[in-house]
Amino acid sequence: MRVQVKLFASYREIVGADQLAWTLRDGATLGALVDAVLDAYPRLRGHRDTMFLAVNRAYAQPDVALRDGDEVALLPPVSGGLG
Amino acid sequence: MIRIQRGRIDVKAVVDSVRRDDAGAIAVFLGTVRADPDVEALDYEVYTPMAIRTLTDLVDRAKAKFGVLGMSIVHRVGRVSVGGDSVAIACAAVHRAEAFAACAWAMEEVKRIVPIWKRESGPRTRRTPRRRSGARRKAREARA
Repeated sequence: MRVQVKLFASYREIVGADQLAWTLRDGATLGALVDAVLDAYPRLRGHRDTMFLAVNRAYAQPDVALRDGDEVALLPPVSGGLG
Repeated sequence: MIRIQRGRIDVKAVVDSVRRDDAGAIAVFLGTVRADPDVEALDYEVYTPMAIRTLTDLVDRAKAKFGVLGMSIVHRVGRVSVGGDSVAIACAAVHRAEAFAACAWAMEEVKRIVPIWKRESGPRTRRTPRRRSGARRKAREARA
């Protein structure tokens, strides 16, 4: 199956793209996808502990099973609002 | 009114969007860009579809949690110069206590869960969007 992986802020800058198309085996979990992306982009590994994950625009946990066509997002810690 | 927008925030329009005859209070919060050293502006990046979704859910939870009558949240995306409004929250309630409480709670939730990132921009500052550390934030607040 294929999913879209969206990247924001520092992650986008590390990867050099705001979106990746990723192919993985049917039934793979979100965590497995993240592991694969981090293997491909080792500079993201240091951010794993603070990374938030979303599937189809809702926060999700690593054990959720992905489906073909899902929109996955890797989110740095948010920082909106006043500054 | 829940909106992510590039242009300046019309605060009066945000307030008017929650006006209603059964409200006895409207609390308004504005987040503004502060003139920290080397900071001329903040650049906001937003995962807009998810931000709209989380803000919509946030407003629903505010109504359930505080019994507020109406809440509007507008956040900027793109560059906001020092002194500009980056976020506006208006909250209408029967009484001021729940209006104040819901407004404060909503702002904390915006900073906690809404996928928005900011980057400081200035003459010597080209920083990656990041979360301020607690220590740094406390130092900034102590200076404010």
